[in-house]
Amino acid sequence: MLERILTDDFRGKLKLTFRDIENQQDRSDEKEFAKDEVRIREELLDTVTPHASDDTLDEDYLIAAVDGSGSGDLMTLDDVRVHLLSTSTVVLDTNTRAGDPFRPLDRATLENAFGRAQPFLDCHWHSGVRGDARTKMADSLAEIYPLKDSDALVLPFFRDIMKRQLKSMSDLSGTNYGAYTSSLGTMESLITREQMLTNPAVHDELRTASEYAAARIVLTSSIQPKYLLLDGAMSIFMHQARQYPSMPSGFMLRELCSLAREKHVVLCAVSKNHTIPFAHRIARMAQEAFGEGSKWFCLLPGSEDPGGGLYIYQDRTYIPPRLAVPYLFSFSMDNRPSRIDFDRIWWLENVFVQDDPSKTRENEKALFQEIEFMSRDARWYGYPVALALAHEECKLSYEDLRLAREVAGDVRHELGLDPRRTTPYREDFNL
Amino acid sequence: MTLDIRNLGELYGKVSVGDQTSLGIMGNNRDVSVGEIFMIYSHRDGHERVFFFRVLALQNYLRQVDDMARVAGTLMVEGDAYLSGIQRNMLLQVGGKMLGYAELEKGKWVFRSPRRLPDHLADVYRPVPNVSDEAVRKMLASQTDGEVFIGNLQVGEATLDVPVKIPSKYLPMHMGIFGSTGSGKSNLMMVLIKSILDSNLEASRNPNEKRPRISAFCIDPHDEFAKGVTACGIQDIVEAMDQETRASVIGDFYYLTTHLKATPREIQRYGREIRILWEEILPHDLYTIMDFTPQMVSFIDGQYAANRESWISAITDMKDDPEGTPKGTLNAVQRRLRFIERSPIFIRSGSSILSDVFVAMETGRVLVVNTSLMSDTEQFLLTTVIARTVSDLRRAAKSSGTLGDFESQGAIRLPGPFFNRIKARAKSFYSAGGQSDESGVRDPRDMPVILVTVEEAPSILNPELMRGQSVFKDLSRQGRKFNIGLIVVSQQVSVLDNVILSQMNTEVNLRLGNEREIQACIENASVNISGFEDEFRVMARGEAIVTASYRELPLPVRIPLFDTLFERDKSRYKASKATRASEKHTF
Ligand SMILES: Nc1ncnc2c1ncn2[C@@H]1O[C@H](COP(=O)(O)OP(=O)(O)OP(=O)(O)O)[C@@H](O)[C@H]1O
Ligand SMILES: [Mg+2]
Repeated sequence: MLERILTDDFRGKLKLTFRDIENQQDRSDEKEFAKDEVRIREELLDTVTPHASDDTLDEDYLIAAVDGSGSGDLMTLDDVRVHLLSTSTVVLDTNTRAGDPFRPLDRATLENAFGRAQPFLDCHWHSGVRGDARTKMADSLAEIYPLKDSDALVLPFFRDIMKRQLKSMSDLSGTNYGAYTSSLGTMESLITREQMLTNPAVHDELRTASEYAAARIVLTSSIQPKYLLLDGAMSIFMHQARQYPSMPSGFMLRELCSLAREKHVVLCAVSKNHTIPFAHRIARMAQEAFGEGSKWFCLLPGSEDPGGGLYIYQDRTYIPPRLAVPYLFSFSMDNRPSRIDFDRIWWLENVFVQDDPSKTRENEKALFQEIEFMSRDARWYGYPVALALAHEECKLSYEDLRLAREVAGDVRHELGLDPRRTTPYREDFNL
Repeated sequence: MTLDIRNLGELYGKVSVGDQTSLGIMGNNRDVSVGEIFMIYSHRDGHERVFFFRVLALQNYLRQVDDMARVAGTLMVEGDAYLSGIQRNMLLQVGGKMLGYAELEKGKWVFRSPRRLPDHLADVYRPVPNVSDEAVRKMLASQTDGEVFIGNLQVGEATLDVPVKIPSKYLPMHMGIFGSTGSGKSNLMMVLIKSILDSNLEASRNPNEKRPRISAFCIDPHDEFAKGVTACGIQDIVEAMDQETRASVIGDFYYLTTHLKATPREIQRYGREIRILWEEILPHDLYTIMDFTPQMVSFIDGQYAANRESWISAITDMKDDPEGTPKGTLNAVQRRLRFIERSPIFIRSGSSILSDVFVAMETGRVLVVNTSLMSDTEQFLLTTVIARTVSDLRRAAKSSGTLGDFESQGAIRLPGPFFNRIKARAKSFYSAGGQSDESGVRDPRDMPVILVTVEEAPSILNPELMRGQSVFKDLSRQGRKFNIGLIVVSQQVSVLDNVILSQMNTEVNLRLGNEREIQACIENASVNISGFEDEFRVMARGEAIVTASYRELPLPVRIPLFDTLFERDKSRYKASKATRASEKHTF
């Protein structure tokens, strides 16, 4: 292929593509951005005021982070796939008083508090063809998520979305959702995207659920962190017609958010790669306004916020995600801006102050001061260290996977099951 | 199995990569130094093995960091950056050499050269003094056992209570002590002398154990051994002995010197003056220590043939070149013999010490020979005469079936008057039983081991002199037959003759002066120690790497200061019932 990549012909094709993008997209969006520019600069963007590196916090606190990884292809046995899921939870102590900042709690303490190994490895199987895909998946999800009561799982979403106290499912009757109560009773019934249960979709759902499960275990454990960080965004895929999450993980997230609020834990999700258009332009604006190397954040408001949503993403219905408040931020000029999402309900209660933008800003600045402080590890400068560590711990390298497959083969042998090759099919053909 | 892993030491790390000669270990970021010895525990198919690994290279390793420079850069540029929980992730990548492994075989620990690999990710232990000593002692018994203690096993900066000894049966296969000035050669010699005395003491107290006696003729060029370099010396051992012990281990004297009057009173009591009669010197002795032209050699040989043992007086008394001798030869030879004429120790007439030295050597005694007031040539000639005399007598015994044969052999090989003086004693030493001419002769290997030290060895063991008829060339090749060994002490290895070096089977390599000597030492070592260059460079005084052809493992050794050893052991030189019982475990 290399000989093609190095041709002028290929360069020509790229040129056409980029021009096309420029012409089609940017021209229209550029206009949109121009409409947002002043508002961004004057209302949404602000600097982070960093702690001095030798600051001693009045009260040191804990920061927990969860990340997960996995493979939907540990082993393929005809139409059955074995999914491998790993999660890792890291808890850091700001520990400024002892002068050894962001000291990780040792593994034994965590294992003790969570009642499971760290990092945690799990596997589930899934069959896509026999028509029982949904049932099997529901079984796996129910097994993964620690909360077993389906009413308790779904109600938080409806409470948050309708901003109503709902004691039980019957309180839904008479609302827009009243018609669906009968389809909200089981894990299986919460899977409403059955026709789209492709292998990657199944794996993603299992993985997301595992991460939420790990996060939930932190919340119910004796560890009482101030922050609980998740990897990714707080997006929820919605069922278009019914206007509630199309997969159980959406309900899980809201359940998690409500539990976090109850426990006074700040739940947030950080993503390095995000889909915020014009993020680079916002970053440039920040540099121009605050100087090279400044640390900044920028609220990405939604339609319900004062002033409404931004023009740049008005066609993108998933920004901001339902019930979430995203910010762009950058703490290091070497990195592109990242995104952080907060639970909107928490945000309304703890950050946003009605009719008082400067109070709101004060709260935001205090919040980002802490987020910045936890993102200064020299290995991943500008990114929350707890998340980076969790990522390092849970990731499955190619070599890890290869070994896991070998072990799987061994186990089959031990059980006297018919021998199957455990390597991916493509390897049969040296591909 | 008998091994308790907890006694190996502290768990240090895991084996990461390697083959049967070199290994990589990932370990805790502790203060590890080049030269440390780690043990790797491996248990496979019912075989328990402990591999020994020597650290040759160290590298910091930060887990989760691929690009150390980037992290260091970030720490620099972002002044407020920290490293969370870095302590746990700071690891040390340790590279080194596999030395071999110990394995239990029929209830006994054996040690094997590296030809296997430890398990994947096997546990690596770091020996800890007071914890690991006994386990290491057991596992390395085959590598450290012997009669003559030289020091304790060193594992990096720590020293274990694992005594390293040389088996007396290998002493006749010659030993080299190499080290630059101040590296601790003199102290080592004193430690060796003490160990020999201890071994002889042990032998005399336990006559049934058939422990060989060891004799040594120890040149002491700075007159340090008797009084000691710092506080104590051999004299202190002698004085610490009770009468009976002293009589059996030291005899009447142990100290030889040029002028007894110049010696402190207490040492004088055990001293003798060195006197060697001209008649006890053979031409061969002179050829060993200085260069002669073929004309001179043929002249000397002629004079020896004509005058036998009075050849030296004959030559020195001669006025004119004799018939048929190239002009100037006499003059040149006389010039070379002048040092003998002027020497206070080589005497034309009077009484000689040589027979007493011979007796001492055949009865397992140690002589400290103060040569500080002699010229180098005198010292070399003395050493040569002694070495040649004891070896010729043993040679005569070795080639004889009966005492009668011995007498005729001795008469051929040795200067007549001397042989006549000592032959009765010699027969009593060499007899396998009985004193008649028909009585059989003992095998020299059942006689005491005789050690002769050659100090400032390069002056006589250099390739030029060794090309000719050197006594030491014969000794180095055949010493083991006669149970006579050389201890070659030198600041340099590179200048020594190859014959000597190749016959040497034990080397104590102390700190060396320069790269050339380090290289020469490594090449000369009886076991492969290539890759130890860095270690030689960081060696401190009193530290040595001991290599031996009969051992698989090069042993890093810390030689204790003589004073410390003496202080520890001094009470044991008195033969009370209590010490008798405890000695077995101490020496
Ligand atoms: N094993 C040892 N432990 C501690 N110190 C030692 C040790 N050996 C020697 N020393 C000290 O080092 C110094 C020199 O030692 P020593 O005289 O034995 O060296 P050397 O090699 O004989 O030197 P030279 O070549 O000058 O004769 C002495 O002061 C001695 O106390
Ligand atoms: Mg010395």
